[in-house]
Amino acid sequence: MNTKFLIFLAFLFSAAAHAHKPSDSYLALSVEGASVRGQWDIALRDLEFALGLDSDGNGEITWGELKSKRKEVESYAFSRLNVFSDGKSCALSAADLLVDDHSDGTYAVMRFDADCGGRAPASVEVAYSLFFDIDPTHRGLLRFERGGTAQTGVLSPERPKLAFRAGESSPLAQFTDYLREGVWHIWIGFDHILFLISLLLPSVLILKNRTWKPAERFRDTFWDVLKVVTSFTIAHSITLSLAALSVISLPSRLVESTIALSVVLAALNNLKPVVAERRWAVAFAFGLIHGFGFASVLADLGLPQGTLLLALVGFNLGVEVGQLAIVSAFLPLAYLLRRSGFYRGVVFTGGSAAIALVALVWLAERSLDVKLWP
Amino acid sequence: MNFRCLSVSVLSAIALATSQPAAAAPYLPKDDTVVLETLPGKPSDPTATELRSMRAAVAAAPTDAEAAARLALRYFELAMEQGDPRYVGYAEAVIRPWPENATTAAELLVLHGKLRQYRHDFAHAMADFDLALKSDPANFGARAWRVAILMVRADYAGARRECDLLAQYASELQAVACSTYVDATTGNARPAYARLLAALARAGEVDPGHQLWILTRLAEMAWRFGDAGAAERHFRSALALGFDDNFLLAAYADFLLEQGRAAEVVPLLRKWSRSDTLLLRLALATRALKQPEGEKYVRTLGDRFADAGLRGEKLHLQEEARFLLDLKGDARAALAAASENYRTQREPRDAQVLIDAALAARDPAAATPALQWVEASGFEAKRLRDAASQLKAMKP
Repeated sequence: MNTKFLIFLAFLFSAAAHAHKPSDSYLALSVEGASVRGQWDIALRDLEFALGLDSDGNGEITWGELKSKRKEVESYAFSRLNVFSDGKSCALSAADLLVDDHSDGTYAVMRFDADCGGRAPASVEVAYSLFFDIDPTHRGLLRFERGGTAQTGVLSPERPKLAFRAGESSPLAQFTDYLREGVWHIWIGFDHILFLISLLLPSVLILKNRTWKPAERFRDTFWDVLKVVTSFTIAHSITLSLAALSVISLPSRLVESTIALSVVLAALNNLKPVVAERRWAVAFAFGLIHGFGFASVLADLGLPQGTLLLALVGFNLGVEVGQLAIVSAFLPLAYLLRRSGFYRGVVFTGGSAAIALVALVWLAERSLDVKLWP
Repeated sequence: MNFRCLSVSVLSAIALATSQPAAAAPYLPKDDTVVLETLPGKPSDPTATELRSMRAAVAAAPTDAEAAARLALRYFELAMEQGDPRYVGYAEAVIRPWPENATTAAELLVLHGKLRQYRHDFAHAMADFDLALKSDPANFGARAWRVAILMVRADYAGARRECDLLAQYASELQAVACSTYVDATTGNARPAYARLLAALARAGEVDPGHQLWILTRLAEMAWRFGDAGAAERHFRSALALGFDDNFLLAAYADFLLEQGRAAEVVPLLRKWSRSDTLLLRLALATRALKQPEGEKYVRTLGDRFADAGLRGEKLHLQEEARFLLDLKGDARAALAAASENYRTQREPRDAQVLIDAALAARDPAAATPALQWVEASGFEAKRLRDAASQLKAMKP
């Protein structure tokens, strides 16, 4: 090809903005006590360039081709990564090999353990040189986690080492962390919110002759809400604690599906009342299942071994605070609006129907393990 | 706890619930035959063969500047053709052993400069090109790149000076291409178009690569002064040359989108989703046509911007602003990105997105530098001038 022409193209391309997904790897390290674990996502395209994965030369990389090069990939990668615990090098050993899709293609996912001599590290240092020799624009995007908090950093040829203080945070800081997580979870946990709202919608009404009439006295409404919320709280606190302490465990698909079912039933009960005064009992029964749901979130966060009880109480209190905020926002508004046609027609009937519909989709998705909406 | 939930109606809770993104998680493929990744080419393709022999030449003679320059240039070219920045990294690795000083061959210094301008390090890139011109005063590439950077900075007087210097040793067609490039951006698109068209006709047989560049410019110029028919003709002739060209495809897609011809964009770009610039156009076209893939493209693009953010790089602000404005409907965020972009990049497209974002955000003051540029340059494109007048008429 004519080099003059290539040079001439200079004009052309300077003006163009180009694609901007250069090579990155995603490295996650988590420290729990003395155990240090990692997950490293490396783009198959980069491994192909460095090692050649496409054994049959057809321009495609299959799972079989990746697996057959597993040893080479692992030794290539792990010879370019060092983890130091308090200045001493940790021995890295590869565990599972999986794959994952990132925005620019498929990545090999390597899980690994770092043996740092069985002592909880006070500081961890990462030294990284993957692909820097063949692509200086490559970056290692590092996520360092310890005790529910995460720090991030970017590894580059200019800055191939990053150090993290891994010191324990104070018990109070941990307590507030878990409290915040509890509040956050109820705030984003729409299934729990919708279940609670379904049970609270009729609190400002009274069932007479199989139809809902506005409640006469705030006292009745208040007691009704108190009974429902308290039973729900007691129930889910029991199972959350039992599950978090590993006394009982249930398969998550069963738990998640039953939670969805509880929302469907609670919402349908408003449309065609079966239970009225004893809704607190429904709240208690299904609250037991919702507790398992909270426990799985807590398990994902990871529980600090030394301060397990503190974290559990913090998380549970957080859930209650979040719940209380929802109730105190809902109750006065609903009480004021209870006589209006808007409340009974749109909010109560329409809302219950909409909740039932949404929860039905959840139920189908969770029990059949399919995705129905995008 | 956020007390926006005071206003939590059942319906808004449902709306939120349905917009929760599905979290990706690592998985174990079902069996060995699952195809995980499709590579840009096969090892037996001519490009791959060519690269292999170039790499072997560099490995055999690590001190041979010419071999290194050839390989790095080829990588850079591939990055431009395919819009794939990984090749830029490969090029950088090849030229890294050579220092940026007068002892290094001019061609390698030009490459250093190009890679720097790619990272938007314009000041150092200009210095690299200067250094190359000191040892090789008739170096075409170094001069051409200086023009290009001055154009990005909207320094038209500086660009004209460089074109005059270039004319002393370049061919007539190259000299005309340089000066008309500046003229067409400063309110003289029609005469610039006529001059370039005439120079192309006079030049007789022209290298297809030259033709590609000139036809793309002619198309842009014609589009600029409002002759859509001529623009279409030049775009089509450029495409007919058969090059993979990220810039041409992006320019033609923009042209089609502006003409309301989104349906023609989709087949043109469908296989180009690897390039962010082209993925942006593909997303705009499929969204305009209400095709279901549209949302998938929008999500991928959003993920790519998020990933680039993790690297701490902001090389793609113009596209990000366009993405935020046209695909996310977030005028405020788009305006912030477009303003930041305009601090370093001042081409017509950069001005357009800043003005569009300011219009959407009803904040005319934020686009003051772009409005001043429209006035001072005399840039002719109707869409840009209309948007600028609309913005000037807007009460803050």
